[in-house]
Amino acid sequence: MTFSNLVHAVIDGVLTGSVYALMATGLTLIFGVMDIINVAQGVFVILGSYLSYALSVHFGIDPFVGLLITMPTMFLVGIVVERAFIARLKGPEKTAMSILVTYAVSLVIEGALNMIFSTNPVQINNASYVNSSVHLFGMWLPFIYIYGFILASVLLGSLYFLLYRTRFGASVRASLADQTAAALVGIDVKKVSTICFGIGIAVTAAGGMIYGTTNAFNASSSYDLISRLLTIIVLGGMGSLAGALVAGVSMIILEDIVAVAWSPVWSNITFFILLVIVLSFRPQGLFGKQSARVA
Amino acid sequence: MSTPFLSFDGVIAGYGGGDVLKGVNFGVESGGVTSIVGPNGCGKSTLLKTVSGLLKPRLGSITFKGESLVGKTPKAILQMGIVQVPQNHSLFREMTVRQNVELGAFLIKNKAVVAARYEKVCELFPVVSERAADRAGALSGGQQRLVEFARCLMLEPELVLLDEPSMGLDPKTLRAMFATIKTMNAEGRTVLLVEQNARQALKMSHQGIVLENGVVRLSGSGIDVLNNPEIAALYLGGSITHH
Repeated sequence: MTFSNLVHAVIDGVLTGSVYALMATGLTLIFGVMDIINVAQGVFVILGSYLSYALSVHFGIDPFVGLLITMPTMFLVGIVVERAFIARLKGPEKTAMSILVTYAVSLVIEGALNMIFSTNPVQINNASYVNSSVHLFGMWLPFIYIYGFILASVLLGSLYFLLYRTRFGASVRASLADQTAAALVGIDVKKVSTICFGIGIAVTAAGGMIYGTTNAFNASSSYDLISRLLTIIVLGGMGSLAGALVAGVSMIILEDIVAVAWSPVWSNITFFILLVIVLSFRPQGLFGKQSARVA
Repeated sequence: MSTPFLSFDGVIAGYGGGDVLKGVNFGVESGGVTSIVGPNGCGKSTLLKTVSGLLKPRLGSITFKGESLVGKTPKAILQMGIVQVPQNHSLFREMTVRQNVELGAFLIKNKAVVAARYEKVCELFPVVSERAADRAGALSGGQQRLVEFARCLMLEPELVLLDEPSMGLDPKTLRAMFATIKTMNAEGRTVLLVEQNARQALKMSHQGIVLENGVVRLSGSGIDVLNNPEIAALYLGGSITHH
C-alpha cells in the first residue's frame, strides 16, 4: 500500500464517512432522548433517496435544492410515525418493543417503495456534478463527494448549534441525560421526543440524497444501511453524538484502507471485527456512558 | 373554613398491577415543614410523585390551594409553584453547575429575571458560584444535593418537595443539608419532606406524618410523632426521644 493510497483512503473516509455520521446522528439522537432503537432508519434513508430521485428525474429539481422539500417532508413523516406508533410504547419493555414496531414500519415503507418504484436499482445521476471530478491532493475526487461532505458538515454544524446554543438544545440535552429530572424542571419531554424523532428522520433526507447520487439503490439497500448505522452508533456509544461522528468517519476510513491494502472482500467485515474488539474493552462504546440507559 | 394549602383525599396510586398508596388522607399547612416518615416501600416517594405530576393517582384528589393537581403535567404543576427534588441525584452530569442551576428557571423566558434569580441562589448556596464552571458530575454527593436545592429555588416556589435529601450524605453534610432546609422554610417556602432519617426530620418539622402500607398511620406535630412510643418503637430505633 502506497502513502498516496493511504491519503486517498483517509480523504474518502472523511468525505463519505461524514454522510454516514449524519445519518447515524439521527439514529443516536432518537435513541439517546427516547430509548428507541429505530431500525427503520435505513429505509427512511432510502425513502429520502427516492424522494430526491423523484424530484430530480420527474420534475428536474436539483437534488440539493430538492432538500428544501424533502427535509421538511421527512421531518413531518417522522412526527407522524412518532405520534402514531412510537409514543404509544411505554414501560420497561419500551426499547425492545421499539425494535419490533420500527421493523414493522420499515417493512411497510419498503413494500410501498417496491410497489411504486419496482425493485430495479436506480441512481440519481442527472445532475452535472454527479459524474464529474476535480483533481485534488493528487487524485480525482468526484464533486458529489465534496458537496456531500460540505452538506453533512453544514447540517452537523447546525445540529450542534441547535443542541448546544439554544434553549431547545438545552432541553434536548437535559432529556438525553435524565428524563425524570428534565420533566421536573418543566421540560416537556414528550414534545422534545417528538421533535427529536422528526429531526432524526429529517437528516435521512440529506443522507439519502447523497447515498442515492453515489450508489445505485432499491428499497432493499436499507438492510445494508441499517446494519452500518447501528454498528456506527454502537461503536460510538449509544446516544453519543460525538461517537456517531467519530465512528462514522472511522468506519469508511478503515474499510477503504483494508480494501486497498488487503482485499475489498474483507473491507466490510473489518469494521465489525473492530467493533467486537472495542466492545470487549469498552462495552459502552467509544463515547458512551458506563451505565447509560440501564435504569 | 379556609382552603387547605395542600390536601390529599383518598389518594390511591401505584405502578403496574399494584397499589402503593391505598387511600391517603391528610392536609399540609402553608409555611411549615412537613415530614413523611415510614418504613421502606410504604409509599413515601410515590406520594411525592403524585404531587409533582410524575405519577397520576388512580383515585382520589390532590389539591393545591383549592386547585386540583390530578392529571396535570409536571410542567403545569411547576407553573403553579411546586417543585420537586427527586431521590436520586438529578443533576445533568455533563452540564456545568451554572447550566444546571439556570435550567431550574427553564420556564422563565426573561433572561434578566433568570440572571437575578441566579445571583440570589448564589448568595444562598456559595458552592454554586464557587463551582459554576465545573461539570456537575465532578461534584461530591453533598455538593450535588446543594446544587439541586439551588436549582429548585430558581422558580421561587411556594411548595418544595424533597425526596430523601439525606440519602448517601456524610454526617457533616447531613447537618448542613438540614440547616439549608430550615433556611429554605424560613424564607417562606413550605417544605414537604420524605426522609429515612426520621428522627432528625421530625425534630425540625412542624408536622409529622407516618405512612404505613400506603395509608396514614399517624399524624400530628413533628414532636408528637417523635414522642409517640409505638412509632418510636417501630420506626425510630425503638426508643423515645426526650427533649
